Amino acid sequence: MNKIHIYSILLLLLGSKATFAQQTNSLVSKAASISFFSSAPLEDIEAKSSLAGSALNIKTGEIIFRVKITSFQFDKKLMQEHFNENYMESDKYPLSEFKGKIEECEKLAKDGTYKLNVSGTLQIHGVGKSYSTAATFNVKNGAIKAIAAFDVRLADHKISIPSIVGKKIAEVVKVKIEAAYN
Amino acid sequence: MKSILCIMLSIISLKVVAQEDLDKMIKLEGPKNEKVTATFKSGNLINLKTTETIHRNEMDFRVDHRFGDIGGSAGGAKNFFGLDNSTDIRIGFDYGLTDNINIGIARAKGATEVRQLYEGNIKYRFAEQTIDNSVPVSIAFFGSTVVSAMEATEEKHSAASFERFSDRLSYVTQLIIARKFSSSFSLTVVPSYLHRNYTAYNDQNNMFAIGIGGRAKVSKRIAFVADYFLPFRQSSKKKYREEVTGQRYYNALGVGLEMDTGGHIFHLNFTNATAIQESQFISETNSSWGKGQFRWGFNIARRFNFNKKEKG
Repeated sequence: MNKIHIYSILLLLLGSKATFAQQTNSLVSKAASISFFSSAPLEDIEAKSSLAGSALNIKTGEIIFRVKITSFQFDKKLMQEHFNENYMESDKYPLSEFKGKIEECEKLAKDGTYKLNVSGTLQIHGVGKSYSTAATFNVKNGAIKAIAAFDVRLADHKISIPSIVGKKIAEVVKVKIEAAYN
Repeated sequence: MKSILCIMLSIISLKVVAQEDLDKMIKLEGPKNEKVTATFKSGNLINLKTTETIHRNEMDFRVDHRFGDIGGSAGGAKNFFGLDNSTDIRIGFDYGLTDNINIGIARAKGATEVRQLYEGNIKYRFAEQTIDNSVPVSIAFFGSTVVSAMEATEEKHSAASFERFSDRLSYVTQLIIARKFSSSFSLTVVPSYLHRNYTAYNDQNNMFAIGIGGRAKVSKRIAFVADYFLPFRQSSKKKYREEVTGQRYYNALGVGLEMDTGGHIFHLNFTNATAIQESQFISETNSSWGKGQFRWGFNIARRFNFNKKEKG
């Protein structure tokens, strides 16, 4: 009876060790940065968050980004307040999230720089939409740096801009993402 | 038999752990002690000051206007429901020394016997409500000094029969305590102290009052706002003043709609108070809602930003 217990514990330990080895397929980026830029006739708006989180799995190609809307910093604080209160409604939709897949992810196992397609669903303002973009991955000694840029159309995520401020906020916002995984 | 079960179980557990969700690997670090923003949308409700300040290097330009009585003996169609008259107009500039300290200057017409008012003020928000409730309320101090530039009247019992310069001064001190209860509802309580160096004969120089106000969002950009002031008067002096002037004192009550157009905050309100400045509407509101003596009023506030855009 006792023997069986010890045996199973040993097995469990072995199992957990195996999973530990498996986990190296998954890399985490604790302080990914996400910035966006809106260029309109009357005003340029720029904001950045360096508190985004991301994780990817080089075996399966899964990749996830997540950011708190209130962590975006603006030069003009009144804009930041309007961004949270009027446009993103960050009390209702506190997070933005991207879940997708990296194509040809097996390349990430070797050192080098690769331009790979990433596609998946981006949730902003509680509305999800499919995106696909080419991202640059730089692999060195198992650590990965990734950069991607793409456009987000505000209307796609039901973010409405009143006509009175239409000349200050662009309909399409450029988003840039940078993450370092290890 | 049992050992096989154990082996099977451990294999299953191995598989489950190996496919661990990437989801759980992301731990977001939000900004610490995150502050609650937009408890109110502007530095004023209707008659009441709020805890909101403008940020450093921002300027707020605001115009307040109160029309004449809508109803009652002085209102009605003959003066287009008060729109022909203005009981008080105030034009003010506020400037943000820091994100929490604002100084301001203003000129107001004045709605009592004392007119031609110049005001200097300071607002200091020293506590801000946080999302985790470690600070449950926002608290600000507001202080203002008002000086009247009008010519002294001959009428000896008038509040405007100044003899010395100091007779022209009055002071307001307020502690503004506010809490945002939900994304669409905020409440504020404002204990106030008013000191007038010179008053009409047998009126009070010092007066305590308490103001309460609230804001309830109706839609994303429109909110219902209301505020009320309860002054604590000495009953003997109140009785005397009401007998001499033939006018009763009422408490100022305002209700209105607040519209946020992004940069502009526009208020459309109704109040029985004729004056805009605290030094006057707290102590000398002689118009009554019940008699139709309430009026249209509006505030327009426009914020300007003098911060240089940092490239980076």
